[in-house]
Amino acid sequence: MNGLMNISPITSSIIITLLPLLAFIIQALLGKRTQSGFISLIAIVISTILSAFFVFTKIWMNTPQMVDYNWFTIGHHTFTAGILLNNLTALMQLLVCIIALAVHVYSKSYMKGDPGIHRYWMYLSLFCFAMLGLCISKNLLIMYIFWELVGFASYLLIGFWFTKDSAVQANKKAFIVNRIGDLGFLLGLATLYSLYGSLDLTELFALDGLFYNLPNQPTGLLTFSGICFFIGAMAKSAQFPLHVWLPDAMEGPTAVSSLIHAATMVAAGVFLLSSIFPLFNASVLLIITIIGTMTALSAACFALSQRDIKKILAFSTISQLGFMVVAIGIGAWDAGMFHLITHAFFKCLLFLGAGAVIHEMSHLKEINQLDFDPQDINNMGNLRKWMPKTFILMAVASLALAGFPLTSGFLSKDAILIATLEWGIQHGSFYLLVPITLIIVSILTSFYISRLMFKVFFGEFKLTVKKFKLQEASAIMLWPMLFLGIGCLFLLFSWNPLSYQSASIFKGLIVSYQFSEIHALHMLLPVGLTIGSLIAGSVAWNWYIRNKYPLNPQGNKWIEFTFNQGYINEFYSVIFVNGTILFSKGLFWFDRTIIDGLVRFVGEVTKGLASLSSWFDRIIVDGLINKVGSTTYYIGHLLRWAQNGRLQNYLGFAFTLVLIGIIYLILQ
Amino acid sequence: MITLTHFLIVSACLFCIGLYAVLAKRNAILILIGIEFMINAAILNLVAFGRYDKLVYGGQIFALFAIVLAAAAVAVGLAIILNVYQHYKSINPDDITDLRD
Amino acid sequence: MELIIFYIFSAIVLTAGLLVVSLRNTARALFLFFVVLFAMAGLFIFALADFIAITQIMVYVGGVLILMIFAFMLSNKELLADLQNASGKFLSLPNWQSILLSIGFLVVMVYSIMDWQSVDQPNWITTNIQNNQIIKSTDNTIEQLGIKFMTQFLLPFEVISIFLLAALIGAAHLSRREGNP
Repeated sequence: MNGLMNISPITSSIIITLLPLLAFIIQALLGKRTQSGFISLIAIVISTILSAFFVFTKIWMNTPQMVDYNWFTIGHHTFTAGILLNNLTALMQLLVCIIALAVHVYSKSYMKGDPGIHRYWMYLSLFCFAMLGLCISKNLLIMYIFWELVGFASYLLIGFWFTKDSAVQANKKAFIVNRIGDLGFLLGLATLYSLYGSLDLTELFALDGLFYNLPNQPTGLLTFSGICFFIGAMAKSAQFPLHVWLPDAMEGPTAVSSLIHAATMVAAGVFLLSSIFPLFNASVLLIITIIGTMTALSAACFALSQRDIKKILAFSTISQLGFMVVAIGIGAWDAGMFHLITHAFFKCLLFLGAGAVIHEMSHLKEINQLDFDPQDINNMGNLRKWMPKTFILMAVASLALAGFPLTSGFLSKDAILIATLEWGIQHGSFYLLVPITLIIVSILTSFYISRLMFKVFFGEFKLTVKKFKLQEASAIMLWPMLFLGIGCLFLLFSWNPLSYQSASIFKGLIVSYQFSEIHALHMLLPVGLTIGSLIAGSVAWNWYIRNKYPLNPQGNKWIEFTFNQGYINEFYSVIFVNGTILFSKGLFWFDRTIIDGLVRFVGEVTKGLASLSSWFDRIIVDGLINKVGSTTYYIGHLLRWAQNGRLQNYLGFAFTLVLIGIIYLILQ
Repeated sequence: MITLTHFLIVSACLFCIGLYAVLAKRNAILILIGIEFMINAAILNLVAFGRYDKLVYGGQIFALFAIVLAAAAVAVGLAIILNVYQHYKSINPDDITDLRD
Repeated sequence: MELIIFYIFSAIVLTAGLLVVSLRNTARALFLFFVVLFAMAGLFIFALADFIAITQIMVYVGGVLILMIFAFMLSNKELLADLQNASGKFLSLPNWQSILLSIGFLVVMVYSIMDWQSVDQPNWITTNIQNNQIIKSTDNTIEQLGIKFMTQFLLPFEVISIFLLAALIGAAHLSRREGNP
């Protein structure tokens, strides 16, 4: 037992990463026989325990540990693979394990009875393996491999119900958009390698790393590599304009949406940006900030008019990811990481709650054999009467999302907003647009989440059905939700509910800000935001519960515009999809007409040459031989006259010879 | 003045006509006529040269003999032709192809 | 004047000769042969061989030709039949090789004659002309021929009569009818 208690963090990390892979392999081999998911659950439980007790406690606020293995050598270049355990990576690993554990437990009840459940557990384990591996990668190349694997697992899970055409289109779209990001990642990798000759995180970015020792690199290339890495993060973390895959990814099971597309995978982009933060120079950081702001604003607007409960949550995710990216852009990536962690808890909880609601609504649909969309919030109402526990937990999560005091979300959101304001004030003029936009987005956030809560849980139930049976979610679903709900409160992160700077996270992630602190804002902003959220909530109450809706729901152009997600999908479809199809048609025409024509032409030429040579052979070569033969025959035919038995012929010949003789004599 | 050459040329022409008749005709009688032509040409030649021979009159004597011989030849030839015709039923010399059996 | 008549006679000879060899009808050919022989006699006269001319007419025309005509006319109908009935032309188709050969011979002979003419006459002719031993038109050839026959050329004369006898017997034997065994 003693030996067991002394497992080094490195070994634990390896075990943590490989256990889900083992679960994946075992389940892949067992196939349909493993339906209960017990193997995945055991794997993730052990991984969580190891991560909490053997890695996090040993690494947090201690010296980082790392290990390198020589992977392969090409010529003079050696690539290493390694494990890096510092504050950031250990934190990330623990987060992934905890959220995955909650989702695994929840899935046992949620996915019960699904015919493809054996595949579900398989893919879930694969995803956990890839995400855990990504967290602890020391070499950017290994991180790229896990990055791709995570995208692949997401593809498999989005298209889990592959018989549905919309699911297949969605997972194709997700994979292709992610591919664009992967291309950016790869370009960034290549540029970085060509500049520094190494892809190792510590070699590059540690305090005595190559990045600081070789300072005079061409700025163009550095900017280029920074932008390329950011493109990778853009696709993975659904920034504008590569966010189009995330709303469609809601075709997958809700548990998957909660794990992958809310808490962990989309956070991978933010994690990457934090890991290689020293690479970005001022122009790249500005671009990051601008795109993050645009993402936050556009997603919040689109969320305002969505009717599908999961789509609202998806746009909310995109908007919050925008927040995190802005935090990175202004240089406060610790605030970004803090928001990532708190967002993981409350967003996952929101999705799990939504999953419970959808589960009950589809159950209602089945027993009544009606045909309505179980995810449409216009079909729901007053559900808190039948699902009180779900309601309470979802309310806690919404308050965290809106940034109410006493929640963890309040701390993290304030961290970002205050930092943004300080940054904006420091730089002045147009830079202030960023914090102002983020404040507007926060108010919009509380509006749309209040809209969701009021429409689902308050008011009256909108559908009339014969057999009415709505019950609370099962206990197996509720326990993980409760656990996540506790995580939404401030207690987990800081003893002081109102000041974020005493959060323990900030003690671990040490970042020096480029802008000065303004103490007044630390008081003013939280108060102002809370008031704003309350106002937004009351407006939502007025509009949706008291039915004093001022706009025309059918014809209003703004509602149409935001409901159709700004027509971005249509834009992409026309430009890229149709463009590619047209291009491929053009290539097909080219291949058919020109290349095949060329080949056919060559064939025709060969045929012509062949016929020419056959003519030559027949007429000239054979003709020559035949001519020789016929000449011989003709000579024989002529000479036959010498002995044909005719008297006069003999006379003729005799006289001819005499004549010839006389001529000869004359000529002589 | 009629020189020797005139006679010689005429006799040459006549000889060639006779030669043609011998070689090209399918009728045995016409072949005989051809032979007659050739003999006549020779006689003309003899007579032409004989003009210059008063001593011996050789040319004219020989011409007389030639005429006699030609007549005999014709007689015998015709008899043969008639005989051959009785056997072969044709006077085309090309049809006379059998050896005596 | 003499020359023109000589040319006329030669023309008759040659034309009739050509017609003889080219006519389709054998009977007509034979009659034209008759014309040829007469014209030949005329030519003999020009060569101052009057006795030969008369003998030609008597023997050839009166004997040989009559014999041929008799043999031709009194023969079987098939003998008279036209052997070349392919085309109904007046003249028969010439056999080109034979024509070539004949013309070749003609060319050779004419060339030799012309060539010989440019060279001088043979010696004996020159000597005879000088010695005035050529036959003149006022000579009595018959008397001289008779004398020569009985004196100098007696032997050939006798031989040829026996030869004629043999020919006669032979011809008669050949053409007897095969009737009596």
